[in-house]
Amino acid sequence: MIRTVLAAMFALAVAPPFASAGEKPPVALYKNPQCDCCEGYADYLRQNGYKVTVKPTHDLSLINRQHGVPEHLEGCHTTLIGGYVVEGHVPVKSLDRLLTERPAIKGISLPGMPQGSPGMTGRKSEPFTIYELSRGTPRVYAVE
Amino acid sequence: MLAPHVIEIDEDLNMNYKHFSPLSRRAFLGTGAGFALTASAPAWPARGSDIREFRIVAGHGRARLVGGRHPETAVWAYNGTVPGPEIRARQGERLRVAVENRLDEETTVHWHGVRVPNAMDGVPHLTQKPIAPGETFVYEFDVPDAGTYWYHPHQRGSEQVGRGLSGPLIVEERTAIQVDRDIVWVLDDWRLLEDAQISPDFGNMMDASHNGRVGNTVTVNGRIPETFAVRSGERIRLRLINTANARIFGLEFAGHRPLVVAYDGQPVESHEPKGGRVVLGPAMRADVLLDMTGKPGDRFGVTDTFYDGLAYRLLDFVYEQEPLRQRPLDTPVALAANTMPEPNLKAAERHEVTFGGGMMGGMMGGGMMGGGMMGGGMMGGGMMGGMMGGGRIDPRGMMHNGIWTINGVSATGHVHDPFLNLKLGGSSVLVLHNNTAWHHPIHLHGHSFRVIGRNGNPTRYREWQDTVLLAPRERAEIAFVADNPGDWMFHCHILEHQAAGMMGVIRVI
Repeated sequence: MIRTVLAAMFALAVAPPFASAGEKPPVALYKNPQCDCCEGYADYLRQNGYKVTVKPTHDLSLINRQHGVPEHLEGCHTTLIGGYVVEGHVPVKSLDRLLTERPAIKGISLPGMPQGSPGMTGRKSEPFTIYELSRGTPRVYAVE
Repeated sequence: MLAPHVIEIDEDLNMNYKHFSPLSRRAFLGTGAGFALTASAPAWPARGSDIREFRIVAGHGRARLVGGRHPETAVWAYNGTVPGPEIRARQGERLRVAVENRLDEETTVHWHGVRVPNAMDGVPHLTQKPIAPGETFVYEFDVPDAGTYWYHPHQRGSEQVGRGLSGPLIVEERTAIQVDRDIVWVLDDWRLLEDAQISPDFGNMMDASHNGRVGNTVTVNGRIPETFAVRSGERIRLRLINTANARIFGLEFAGHRPLVVAYDGQPVESHEPKGGRVVLGPAMRADVLLDMTGKPGDRFGVTDTFYDGLAYRLLDFVYEQEPLRQRPLDTPVALAANTMPEPNLKAAERHEVTFGGGMMGGMMGGGMMGGGMMGGGMMGGGMMGGMMGGGRIDPRGMMHNGIWTINGVSATGHVHDPFLNLKLGGSSVLVLHNNTAWHHPIHLHGHSFRVIGRNGNPTRYREWQDTVLLAPRERAEIAFVADNPGDWMFHCHILEHQAAGMMGVIRVI
């Protein structure tokens, strides 16, 4: 019998191959079941041509640990896409660039829930700083 | 790509009658559990003349939470069992519980819902010096009210409770209603790793700022049960106790009509809950009467449907072949009233209490987690200071201060200036405003209160509770007589919210 135990915590170990150039890889978006701004981000990705599966989970803290996301770079949801971890409300421009250039990093993060970022309400009041998720001191991946 | 990990349970953990009879549960108490009750006493003993003594030891243990091929889980436990031993008494008796601390850190025990004298309330530094490792503290108090209660530490609650320290405390009515079985289900929730060990990520920012440490493994009386054996025609009094740090349960009983007769130990006009679903926030209890109306051989699921998209089956009721009786009982179901003083609403003082903070607080400006992302203050009128620049994290990494507030103040530790001073013996109405995007089960120590209104509408049952679950943006009015002198905690019982500031002190003087 399968129980509720240790539900879906894990984990992309290897990037799945793309079917063809230009096709966007499927997106798994892990979110708190009671958080709705994450749904807004899923809709934003869909509008930009991604196929998104939203997976409510209570294990976000574990998922972040699993992927080595430091606490100060956590977003409120975790997106797994093309072998990368994407934290928070990262704009699609940075996402597309990540998937095109495929750098040797674990992923990228826009920590927190900046106003005006994709899926969030409010107006953008300052540039978004997107960080690399990699070993060592986090570096800025992009400023949008 | 790894498959999602699930633990498979291949053991049939049939919880039969024996495990749950009050007598056998007393045996859990093990050495040191004494019963001073003179069994031959012909009438109800006078208060104070009769003391029930217990000894509980907070320490390290191992529990077979998951079962099957999985290893035991290292836990913190009372008397080595999860949940801790059931403490059972009868209304009006006196309890004397010696608590020995064999943990590596200080602890206390809080008798949740029992209206104890302040010095017995178990709040570190506020009502007592915490019990140091190796020390013993003796709690002694009368149990004025019958009902379903529980006990747990109030020191570093998130981790101490989250690692397994909690137990049921049952006070029997002087005159009981007729049931065939009186069953306690201690519902708990664990965050386990693949090796069935408790994830050590206590105090993380994600839990603190969202809905607390909701885990991935739900247990009933410390096991993952598959089935629960029942018989046609029997009436079960099911005492549900939510001892989880943060998980809210919404239990549905397929094929059955749960009849709630008490919340938080206090009798309520018997009723079927809305949608047939019994909702229990952390620390809350419900006494539910279940008439087993199925036929021999029937099987019905008990499911927890609280969180959207994450419903799961808790266990199945499985009907045995032998019916107990052909027709359900038609005996009365109303519990005798407790001793609660009735608040005088006309003369009551009114106080507004506002809960703020957390993620999605409504005014989120900028990012929330550190790294120099942040500018000014922000976040829904509460998420300030502490969240920024990586958060003001307690040296042990256990607390993120400043995430949640009561009346604009985010508390640290257990000792604060009271945010409310109430006159002893006076009636009060507290209007509780949940200005956050999250649920909060709000607990008042030392008193029970009537929940008289929600969002401006009177409640139908004016239920007595000691913990009221506020939905996001909800407003509730509670009323009570401040008849118990002392400094009393008033806090969110999502223990990560409490640790991150959602607590305060009400002084009754």
